[in-house]
Amino acid sequence: MKKTILVILAVITAVAASAQQSTSLNDTDKNLMWVAQRGWNIRLSAGVNIGGTSPLPLPREIRSINSYNPGLNLSLEGSVQRSFNNSRWGVLVGVRFERKGMTTDADTKNYHMEAWNTDGSGKVVGAWNGKVKTDVNCTYLTLPLLATYSIGERVMLSAGPYVSYLLDGEFSGQAYDGYIRDQNPTGERADVTRAEYDFGSDMNRWQWGVQAGCEYRAYTHLALFANLQWGVNSIFPDDYSAVTFALYPIYATFGFTYLF
Amino acid sequence: MLLSVAAAAFLSSCIREEAPNAECDILEVDAAWLSANRDIIIGTPQISNYAVAFLVAEGVDCAALEPQFVLTPGATITKNGTSIEGEKTIIHYTAHAEDCVWSKPYEVSFTPRSVLPRDFVFSFENYTLDNSNRYNVWYEVYGNGTQRGIWASGNAGFAFTGKGQKAEDFPSAANPSGVEGDCIKLTTRDTGSFGKLAGMPIAAGNIFIGEFQSANAMKKPLEATRFGLQIVPAKPLYLCGEYKYKAGEKFTDKKFQEVPGCRDTCAIYSVLFEVDPDSVVTLDGSNVKSSERIVLIAQLDNPGEPEEWTSFRIPFEYANGKSFSMERLLNNGYAITVVASSSKGGDFFEGAVGSTLFVDNLRIEWESDVE
Repeated sequence: MKKTILVILAVITAVAASAQQSTSLNDTDKNLMWVAQRGWNIRLSAGVNIGGTSPLPLPREIRSINSYNPGLNLSLEGSVQRSFNNSRWGVLVGVRFERKGMTTDADTKNYHMEAWNTDGSGKVVGAWNGKVKTDVNCTYLTLPLLATYSIGERVMLSAGPYVSYLLDGEFSGQAYDGYIRDQNPTGERADVTRAEYDFGSDMNRWQWGVQAGCEYRAYTHLALFANLQWGVNSIFPDDYSAVTFALYPIYATFGFTYLF
Repeated sequence: MLLSVAAAAFLSSCIREEAPNAECDILEVDAAWLSANRDIIIGTPQISNYAVAFLVAEGVDCAALEPQFVLTPGATITKNGTSIEGEKTIIHYTAHAEDCVWSKPYEVSFTPRSVLPRDFVFSFENYTLDNSNRYNVWYEVYGNGTQRGIWASGNAGFAFTGKGQKAEDFPSAANPSGVEGDCIKLTTRDTGSFGKLAGMPIAAGNIFIGEFQSANAMKKPLEATRFGLQIVPAKPLYLCGEYKYKAGEKFTDKKFQEVPGCRDTCAIYSVLFEVDPDSVVTLDGSNVKSSERIVLIAQLDNPGEPEEWTSFRIPFEYANGKSFSMERLLNNGYAITVVASSSKGGDFFEGAVGSTLFVDNLRIEWESDVE
């Protein structure tokens, strides 16, 4: 978390510094102009991610969602876009530094759980009935590769795949106010006040998906945008036994883009 | 804020139809049936995960009894037959869950109340595997070949940790190296990552006369060990038996931090205490040595660490200024427990992983002149 904030601050500082320099016509500006003259538009975006890291569909074991907190997930992206030979179509490539996370609290019934003891000496297997609080916080470095389609001067649609590398992942939570049945729903029952878990270190490093969005150019240099990112691989390995269903990050991003 | 409420509402709209119940428990004995048979049934039936045990008056024919139960909503129960084993009548049932996937067997038994035979030796020769085929459970045979499950251990609690694959891995296990035949081997075990996150880093091996309530094993572990049964034939005079013991190397506290200079020790004791025969409340881990209901107590002081089998004969001593009443005995107003544990502080998760206590041939000498 702390690390994430520091990196975000560093990026903002760097952007601010480069913006300041652009008051005089220096090398950076010359480079920008050189790129722009060849049809590439340089863009810098900032936004927030709101969504969930969720199984799809929600398993029947989840009986209700008592609370949901999207948290503050910042997204910063630098990208270049160019249109093909004055057509409406174009291409956009970018580098995005972003966080995807949320906190939920759910009621579950007969939720199958398995977890290896950390020393590998045996596996806890049971059926959980009770509350589960989940805290997900993932920081990704994401590379989107999108097709763009312009409608008039102001609106641009985009869609395409992305691939993310997990820089820092946290997946923790607690099972509380409920009971576990040993092995399966017919096993011995034990009431549980609270048991905490942390699977952050077992998450997949790579995450990919598709995104689609819309941008509205409100001013010459400033556009507002909304994107939907849909993860297609689970945040945990397929054979991961502690979380038995796939969890997909599905997030919407809202923000603005500075167009150079 | 508004957004998160909207998102929660959206997520809630994705909640799917509830699956049928997968559980199939006998939750309780039907109160109307119980009160209609109050003249036969003694005390409160013991309901465990696979069995319901009734104590009945002597000389009652139980084959015709049709007990009624309260089940998990949606579950059903089918009767498979009746068997007679010594003085015990067992009705075999299968409980089926609402989802038609899960089911489990239940043994509903009617056992005539019987006190311990005076010359009885607990030699731990009789044991079997639990219903999940992982750990040992012990029983005694007395009264015309009737099996009586008077012993309990914390094995069912340890089972949750996933660290026990076979009976020898569990804290309480049968062992062939007895004084004669088998004995019981109690070992203080590491409970692994799951045990630690539940705040129970070790599990001492224990065996006791009474009942283990696994439902309380994690939430209120002191209340999981219910000590004592009403099987007292007379005033107890001595607790006898044989043991050997080796303490584990590293003594740890309930946070699994090493306590330097502390050496683990075992516990072997017996407590006789008063109960209200109409409404029995047993002792548990919180008060088994301190309750004001304790009348007589015998405990092995300074057990040391004998490497060879060592005999003991410890006198019962009065506690709380009480005396033993024959009238109360005849009214079934006493219960007794015998307890052995590989770590004396095991109730509080203090002890040394690896501490090992072997126990065999436990015996109580009773006062012979019953007036």
